[in-house]
Amino acid sequence: MELNDANLQTLTEFLQKTLDPDPSVRRPAEKFLESVEGNQNYPILLLTLLEKSQDNVIRVCAAVTFKNYIKRNWRIVEDEPNKISEPDRTAIKANIVNLMLSSPEQIQKQLSDAISIIGREDFPQKWPDLLREMVNRFQSGDFHIINGVLRTAHSLFKRYRHEFKSNELWIEIKLVLDTFAKPLTELFKATIELCQTHSTDVNALKVLFSSLTLISKLFYSLNFQDLPEFFEDNMDTWMANFHSLLNLDNKLLQTDDEEEAGLLELLKSQICDNAALYAQKYDEEFQPYLPQFVTAIWNLLVTTGQEVKYDLLVSNAIQFLASVCERPHYKHLFEDQNTLTSICEKVIVPNMEFRSADEEAFEDNSEEYIRRDLEGSDIDTRRRAACDLVRGLCKFFEGPVTGIFSGYVNSMLGEYAKNPGVNWKHKDAAIYLVTSLASKAQTQKHGITQANELVNLTEFFVNHILTDLKSPNVNEFPVLKADAIKYVMIFRSQLPKEQLLQAVPLLVAHLQTESTVQHTYAAHALERLFTMRGPNNSTLISPTEIAPFTEQLLNNLFKALALPGSSENEYIMKAIMRSFSLLQEAIVPYIPTLIGQLTHKLLLVSKNPSKPHFNHYLFESLCLSIRITCKANSATVGSFEEALFPVFTEILQNDVQEFVPYVFQPVLWERTGNIPPLVRLLQAYLQKGGSTIATSAADKIPGLLGVFQKLIASKANDHQGFYLLNSIIEHMPPESITQYRKQIFILLFQRLQSSKTTKFIKSFLVFINLYCVKYGAIALQEIFDNIQPKMFGMVLEKIVIPDVQKISGQVEKKICAVGITKILTECPAMMDTEYTKLWSPLLQALIGLFELPEDDSIPDDEHFIDIEDTPGYQTAFSQLAFAGKKEHDPIGDAVSNPKILLAQSLHKLSTACPGRVPSMLSTSLNAEALQFLQGYLQAASVQLV
Amino acid sequence: MPTANVTDARMTKFKNKGKEPSKLRERRIAVCVELRKAQRSESILKKRNISSLPDDEALSPEYATDNKEVISIAIEEIICNVNSNSKEQQTRGCQAARKLLSRERNPPLKEIIDAGLLARFVDFLGRDDDPTLQFEAAWALTNIASGTSWHTQQVVENGAVPAFITLLGSPMLHISEQAVWALGNIAGDGPAYRDALIACNVIPALLARLTPDAPVGYLRNLTWTLSNLCRNKNPFPPLSAVQQVLPSLVQLLHLGDKDVLSDACWAISYLTDGSNDRIDVVVKTGIVPRVVALMEFEELSVLTPALRSMGNIVSGSDQQTQVAIDAGVLSVLPRLLRHPKPSVQKEAAWAVSNIAAGPCQQIQQLITCGLLPPLIDLLRNGDFKTQREAVWAITNYTSGGTVDQVVQLVQSGGLEAILDLLHIKDAKTILVILDAINNMFLAATKLGETEKLCLLVEEVGGLERIEQLQNHENDAVYRTAQELIEKYFNEDVEDECFKTEATERDFVFKPAEVDKQFNF
Repeated sequence: MELNDANLQTLTEFLQKTLDPDPSVRRPAEKFLESVEGNQNYPILLLTLLEKSQDNVIRVCAAVTFKNYIKRNWRIVEDEPNKISEPDRTAIKANIVNLMLSSPEQIQKQLSDAISIIGREDFPQKWPDLLREMVNRFQSGDFHIINGVLRTAHSLFKRYRHEFKSNELWIEIKLVLDTFAKPLTELFKATIELCQTHSTDVNALKVLFSSLTLISKLFYSLNFQDLPEFFEDNMDTWMANFHSLLNLDNKLLQTDDEEEAGLLELLKSQICDNAALYAQKYDEEFQPYLPQFVTAIWNLLVTTGQEVKYDLLVSNAIQFLASVCERPHYKHLFEDQNTLTSICEKVIVPNMEFRSADEEAFEDNSEEYIRRDLEGSDIDTRRRAACDLVRGLCKFFEGPVTGIFSGYVNSMLGEYAKNPGVNWKHKDAAIYLVTSLASKAQTQKHGITQANELVNLTEFFVNHILTDLKSPNVNEFPVLKADAIKYVMIFRSQLPKEQLLQAVPLLVAHLQTESTVQHTYAAHALERLFTMRGPNNSTLISPTEIAPFTEQLLNNLFKALALPGSSENEYIMKAIMRSFSLLQEAIVPYIPTLIGQLTHKLLLVSKNPSKPHFNHYLFESLCLSIRITCKANSATVGSFEEALFPVFTEILQNDVQEFVPYVFQPVLWERTGNIPPLVRLLQAYLQKGGSTIATSAADKIPGLLGVFQKLIASKANDHQGFYLLNSIIEHMPPESITQYRKQIFILLFQRLQSSKTTKFIKSFLVFINLYCVKYGAIALQEIFDNIQPKMFGMVLEKIVIPDVQKISGQVEKKICAVGITKILTECPAMMDTEYTKLWSPLLQALIGLFELPEDDSIPDDEHFIDIEDTPGYQTAFSQLAFAGKKEHDPIGDAVSNPKILLAQSLHKLSTACPGRVPSMLSTSLNAEALQFLQGYLQAASVQLV
Repeated sequence: MPTANVTDARMTKFKNKGKEPSKLRERRIAVCVELRKAQRSESILKKRNISSLPDDEALSPEYATDNKEVISIAIEEIICNVNSNSKEQQTRGCQAARKLLSRERNPPLKEIIDAGLLARFVDFLGRDDDPTLQFEAAWALTNIASGTSWHTQQVVENGAVPAFITLLGSPMLHISEQAVWALGNIAGDGPAYRDALIACNVIPALLARLTPDAPVGYLRNLTWTLSNLCRNKNPFPPLSAVQQVLPSLVQLLHLGDKDVLSDACWAISYLTDGSNDRIDVVVKTGIVPRVVALMEFEELSVLTPALRSMGNIVSGSDQQTQVAIDAGVLSVLPRLLRHPKPSVQKEAAWAVSNIAAGPCQQIQQLITCGLLPPLIDLLRNGDFKTQREAVWAITNYTSGGTVDQVVQLVQSGGLEAILDLLHIKDAKTILVILDAINNMFLAATKLGETEKLCLLVEEVGGLERIEQLQNHENDAVYRTAQELIEKYFNEDVEDECFKTEATERDFVFKPAEVDKQFNF
């Protein structure tokens, strides 16, 4: 590609087209550019355009195209062709810094990005001039250019903050320090002087303060790995200036914007970070400066307003104090009672106050509020930083700090009492303060597990929390109510049981409140209380203790789902599930309504499943209600069956049509937690509606099998896939799946090939034997051998014979015994092909299954496979066994004693081909097995011929 | 490089846990490039003699000035005197040069060299007839050799080495001492001159002067020069030279003078700062119990090199480490971990980290000797560099320790302490901590108590910190954090053996097309 006007013109035209909104114009142009980008001079043409084109749009477009081109092609990958020619590389590096610095901001940004990408590959070895060139620009006096250089330097050096120490890295840093550190220091000093000269010129100040912020960021990067000699020697200069910048205020730089941090805030935040870096890593050298930084940062905190734009600065500043105050040798800076009081009063308390921004979130953005307040995504908030500071101070000063705060708590509560309507925020802060002071260790599962002994939590609960919860007007002061509920929830492990029991009906009442946060918290608190364990590992709160409120609880929970904004509230759904699980048979009287409501909800959400947690708890709740009903008292089970069975059947069968299309959606299966309940539901539908599906929803069968395929692919979920497959085999009319059988087996074989875990093999053995029982031994042998010649023999030899001993569970063993018996006695191929040699070993394995202890060894590398429940037929089914107490046995009474069946079947076989069976037995069965077999034959009163 | 013998078994043990056997050693030699100022606690490489003789008149003003003209006039005069044939003038010139070179600030080393005086000075070294001249010349050359490498090079290239070695034998003790000093400066320049000196048989000549009646000042200089002959790696001093020096070093280490002890100890620290066979040579002299005793000294000048030597020794093989343990190092280390100086804490923690990398029997001895409480205290309250070493100690401990030992560490507060350090501003240390946490989980898995450990981690705020690390800029850190979360804290574990295609509506039921034969 020549560097000529014609080519520039062509390139301009194509660049123009890449901006066309019409894809039929845009796409070919993009394709064209990609097709020519391998040519020499292509990047130079782009650079020429971005510099010289008359059309501004083309210039920017060329810049972006250039940046993306560099991003895709600059890196030289081993064993791959170099995508940019050496002359182009050299030319780019020679010109790009100049170009970047002389371009307008939009283009400068793109080129600066490109420089960082190139720098990441080439700097410093293959781009030795870069630094020198950049440093020379510091002399230019033009801060537009200087800021361009600083930004580029920042993008080149910021990786020093997170990369591992290595010789290579340190050689680079040393090189950078040698050329860069001194000019940067000079620039820093000069910029600060200029700020003084231009202290009344707002535009100049803005540029200068951006420079100072960038310089401070560079300081952080260059000092991150270790304290460089140069910066140690010049610590006075840097620290003195940082210190005075922290104290600096200039009205001109104050912004009106309440949300967005201004230049001053950004600079000071970075300085706090720099001080924190030195305090943490270079303590010895920084010690002389530290006290003055503590004072400056503290003053900063005292004088900074409540606006959101200061949040980052304030939280950085508080975090600095928090990290310093827990170091033994700085203890003295804080230990004076006046100092402590002042920190508590002026730094901690003000930053714990409930702000208007919090109030807005509480009302309008409850999800965000809950996430911050309940789930701990409050890392950068002021409240969180203040909490950390309290915790830091408590390391050495727990007594005094608790004392000081008790005074504050009392006075704030006093203020509240005087005029609750106006001063309710004081109480909010008081509760928050008590919480942060008292909490020493916390988990989601147990709430606060270790509390400050100096705080009387029960007394506070009785005097200030319970009173709010008892207030007849539940919708008044929703924030305080939410605080009170949260108090119960997080201190649940610390409060006496009587208090918790007292809270339960009050929480139930709060499920009805208008505020989303409030009723969500109520649901969450109840859910947490119901999981608590008492002695003997039973639940702390018993169903009997809940009995008086059961109806109200269930009612309110479902009503809460109808409140605006909570139709898919996962906390409420989880509370429903937990209530079912706690109450057990106490929910039976309400089952008809409950099931109706749940299925109704299920139908609604399955049309557009968007809240995976909500759906998960919904499925769990449905399954629980089914299970609980069926486990119910055996004396009443008859009447329940009578009353409920039709309800179930009707609901389930009616739903099949509507439900089936939705239940196969991948999005539902993404959460592992959804899988067991979803599989159970599908099993239930198959059992009740297998034939309906086959007749009126046959097009859904591939989707159903798709789920099976998805599950079988996972080592964690494969047993669930088998549950589903077993149900399909058992309940679907055989002809409805004929066309899929071969593919099913191919999938199973692929999985066997790729990962043969014990769990999978056990499930596989049960399945093929069930298949054999259902469809016959010949069908099994034929389908195997159809997939691959001699496959049947291989499976018998490599899987069935060696592993059948691992089968556990009565029903599973029975399925395998009957299946193998059929293979032995009803499969001609076993008698007169090369498979015959497997006949005796298979029989021997079967007798082993009957007589030997189970082989429960697991290979070493499988210890970490999570088996959520023992895979097997029985377990899967007992969870859905509608009759409640009977085990589900797909063979049932057809075979009552498999040993007898074996004897009888052998007898039948021997009469069909006289002489052969006894001879096979006597030549290759071991003596012990033979003895057992004689026993079976005797018991069945048959003889082999 | 570590040799591949059985004694390195403890290194290879880390292989199982995904660590290279040479990892620990690497930590010691990785620091080739330094960003920091040179270590202040190290002994000095070269030193200038700036003392003045009792009969020296007070330095006249022209010796103290930085005025170029004044100095060049003085040098003119020196040249004149030194090059004359008069004994007195030569001595006067030499003395004037020595005084210039001994002034505290900006001695004109280069000017004297450029004046072409060095060859003359070296000549004077051979003037047994005039001890004063010999002495003044030796002193002047000593001070020039104390400059930069270039300065030293000028001295050597003018033939000073053989002359000084001969001068060692001078019957006049102060002359011999000056020769010792000059040779020390040359040896301190680096491995090349060090080995050149050794090749000229400097060691027997020096050792010949090591007699019980030698005055302490002389012994100090001698010990320092010997230590410089043991110093520097890449390459190490020849093994034969080390063997020659060691018996005398052992003798010196039993003397009472602190300065002698300090330099002798530094020598030991240089000799042990290498591969296991280097360490072995030192350990075989039976000096280890004495090093342990020196670690109990209050003087930092002795304690520091003794501790450094010990740190080196326990970074060696299991057997070498065991020798140190048997010599009682574990009863001294707790006190050093609690030493008021952060630099001592750091070195002590480093030594502990290497002992913790040993077999579980040695880890057990750490526990028995009460090392855990002070170590955990350092994790909480030490300075950054000390914390970093202490973290290594914890990680090594958890990868080599038995399940019981790991449990004991957790119960002693080790888990909480390392979790608190996850906010540290150093990617490598964070990764090492995550490793330790993973090791603790492996132990918990063996006990079936993963869930308990999860709660413990969460209780002290560790889970939140690990979750935050999933946003860390360093790839290895965020991946390790993510793996920990997925493995132990996440109920949603996907473990797919093959992919299932999906549409918006359902999963596609269709086995992948493969030609491969099934074979189980």
